Amino acid sequence: MQFAYLARKTSQPPPYTRLSRTSSVRRRQLQLGAVAGCILLFLIFLVTRIFSTSTERAPPGTPETIIVTVLDRGSMSKDYISRIEENRQDYAARHGYGTFFAENADYDLGSSPRSWAIVPALRHAMTKYQHTTYFFALSAHALIMNPSLSLESHILEKRRLESIMLKDKPVVPPDSVIKTFSHLKSDKIDIVLTQDGEGLCQGSFILRRGDWARFFLDTWFDPLYRSYNFQKAEGHALEHIVQWHPTILTKLALIPQRLLNSYGVDISSRGGKEAMFKDDDLVVHFVNCEPDANRNCEQEMEPYYNQWKAHWGKS
Amino acid sequence: MSLSRSPSPNRGGGWSSPGLTAPFDDVGGRSSPRKPYGGEFPFSANGGASSSNVTWASAQAKSDEINGYPSFSTRNNGFFSRNARKLSRSLPSFTRGQRSYAEKEKLGRGRYKESRVRRIAAHIGMMIWRLRLRLMILLASLLAVILFYVTPMHRAYRRASLLGGGSKFVIILAANQGGGVMEWKGPREWAIERDSVKNKKKYAKKWGYDLEITDMSTKKRYAHEWRESWEKVDTIRNCMRKYPKAEWFWWMDLNTFIMEPSYSLQKHIFNDLSANTYRDINDYNPLNITHPFKSPYLDEEARSAVGDGKLSSVDLVIPQDCGGFNLGSFFVRRSTWTDRLLDVWWDPVGYEQKHMEWEHKEQDALEHLYINQPWIRPHTAFIPQRKINSFPMGACGDNGEDQRIHYKEADRDFVVNMAGCEWGRDCWGEMYNFRELSNKLNRTPWEKFKDSISEAIKRRKESKKAAEEEKKS
Repeated sequence: MQFAYLARKTSQPPPYTRLSRTSSVRRRQLQLGAVAGCILLFLIFLVTRIFSTSTERAPPGTPETIIVTVLDRGSMSKDYISRIEENRQDYAARHGYGTFFAENADYDLGSSPRSWAIVPALRHAMTKYQHTTYFFALSAHALIMNPSLSLESHILEKRRLESIMLKDKPVVPPDSVIKTFSHLKSDKIDIVLTQDGEGLCQGSFILRRGDWARFFLDTWFDPLYRSYNFQKAEGHALEHIVQWHPTILTKLALIPQRLLNSYGVDISSRGGKEAMFKDDDLVVHFVNCEPDANRNCEQEMEPYYNQWKAHWGKS
Repeated sequence: MSLSRSPSPNRGGGWSSPGLTAPFDDVGGRSSPRKPYGGEFPFSANGGASSSNVTWASAQAKSDEINGYPSFSTRNNGFFSRNARKLSRSLPSFTRGQRSYAEKEKLGRGRYKESRVRRIAAHIGMMIWRLRLRLMILLASLLAVILFYVTPMHRAYRRASLLGGGSKFVIILAANQGGGVMEWKGPREWAIERDSVKNKKKYAKKWGYDLEITDMSTKKRYAHEWRESWEKVDTIRNCMRKYPKAEWFWWMDLNTFIMEPSYSLQKHIFNDLSANTYRDINDYNPLNITHPFKSPYLDEEARSAVGDGKLSSVDLVIPQDCGGFNLGSFFVRRSTWTDRLLDVWWDPVGYEQKHMEWEHKEQDALEHLYINQPWIRPHTAFIPQRKINSFPMGACGDNGEDQRIHYKEADRDFVVNMAGCEWGRDCWGEMYNFRELSNKLNRTPWEKFKDSISEAIKRRKESKKAAEEEKKS
């Protein structure tokens, strides 16, 4: 006896089948699930973002830049100090910066020269202004002469810095074997310095906050450097660490001196006429006026202060 | 045509055999022939001999058509079934026993009888056949064990970052310290080096770590300006470049011995780094370092006793012995912080002022950095000395045994560092003793069993001897 074979399947299936009811329901469920998942993910993202940045984000009104100046109330006259403060505060007000006036006596420097105070003062400013990015360390014996220039457009802006950085330049003139790196990009820079005829200038420089800045300041402030009797104290210590430690050199940009550090007096060993202040320069610095017994900082400042007052003074 | 039966006498009528005519004819058993409907058949079933009738032959032929095998064969299709005979004949045949079948059976010789051994063998074979699945599983697992533990596969999976994570660790072993110019190596020094290197090689291989043996012999480059300790820094930096995937670098002096090779670094230390280390040096502070910093101008992190308290900020893990930091066995992690530390660790200005004071060179320099530079502390963690750097009694032993420092067999300490053995102690002797102890502690159960037997025999012999001697005397 023979059973009938099953019917053959057609070799030409119909082009579509109607969706069954269950599958359309299922599909809707899937769609709903996907949408819900997306919303959930977005919420998680939002929550984590809010909570993670809440500690990091700067509170509104935080100045982007702080001008740090170390004053020595013991040796400077009140008038002189008020002029310095006025000058800094005027500049800060124009650009939304902040000022930080440190007192020399606040820092325990031991027996080392008082000029070292700028290092802990910067550390102090970084502690006090936890969300500020740039710290402009300006010697007390300097005036900001052209407050219309903002630090960003004048120096710090990425493209601007890229164009003004001195690359492959001996760190200590004229012929140090250690030269600034030629392949550095400006966004890797954490300190902007100038250089005069004798070496690196620490009267006027800009430091960017971060782990590196802390490392740099702590290293610079090491008691062994302070006790070493460098001829120019913190200046030579700075030159030393820059030349010996490549992790410091890689974060350093040298820029032409008069962009940040024009001199008010003509000292031939420090660049002479080239370094002298010209109109529209940002800063005038009466370099080395304090330790030199033949010079008087207040007298040197007088004409520049009047000039600034006449041009930019509010009253 | 041949017919199986004589033709019917009744021409055209046929036999009245109901069975044969069934489908066509009346089943009633009529004897008279009957013409079917429509007259004559158009063709006859058996070749038209007798057209309208079903003959035996025609029925048989029909039946043949239906019941016979199909025209194509479904059997004997495979190669083996077609050629089985041929194949089996071409195979060599073995007659079992001496007797050939052709030989005449002789009385007294008996029939061929299977031996008992053969029967047992057959039985075992049958058993194996029955248990084949289970045996196969057993064999596969055995193979896997061999593959993973005997062949280099073992190392590969211990190294893989997802499985063992061994490639994250590099052991840097400083060999030949102070050798070359300063002193010649004697046979003892060679033996120490051989043992120490062998010990670390075995350990690194077991856990899939990388081992970098560096030659620390005094080189011209460093034998000037108190630069010897720069070499340590240079070595670590070179290693970081050489093993770009590694995270932790374990520095070990030559005079160290890994007592417990069964401890992996991951399990022993790094899986639970926070429990195994302490950030606040006040927990154990032989140098009496003031911690944390009090200066108000420092930021919170630098003034906190534990840095930011997060594990991710630990970049340096060092033990402390009775006299302060000990760099005979310590860990550094690859990080920008470490780059900076390695960069400023050696500084000529520091050395110029301190080289008379700093006997331990880079160790003292690190202590100096830790004491004076606030950025160091938040990234430094301390590990209890006995975790990675136990001392023998000869070191730090002036005040008797110290629970924090000295090796204890009962606790199965991980590493022994025979620190300072070159100053008046017997390095080789210590190394030998610790090696033997380590071997003894890490015997397999089988070895322990064997040793216990041999020891028992030895003891019995000795007691016998003693008894005999007693008798004699």
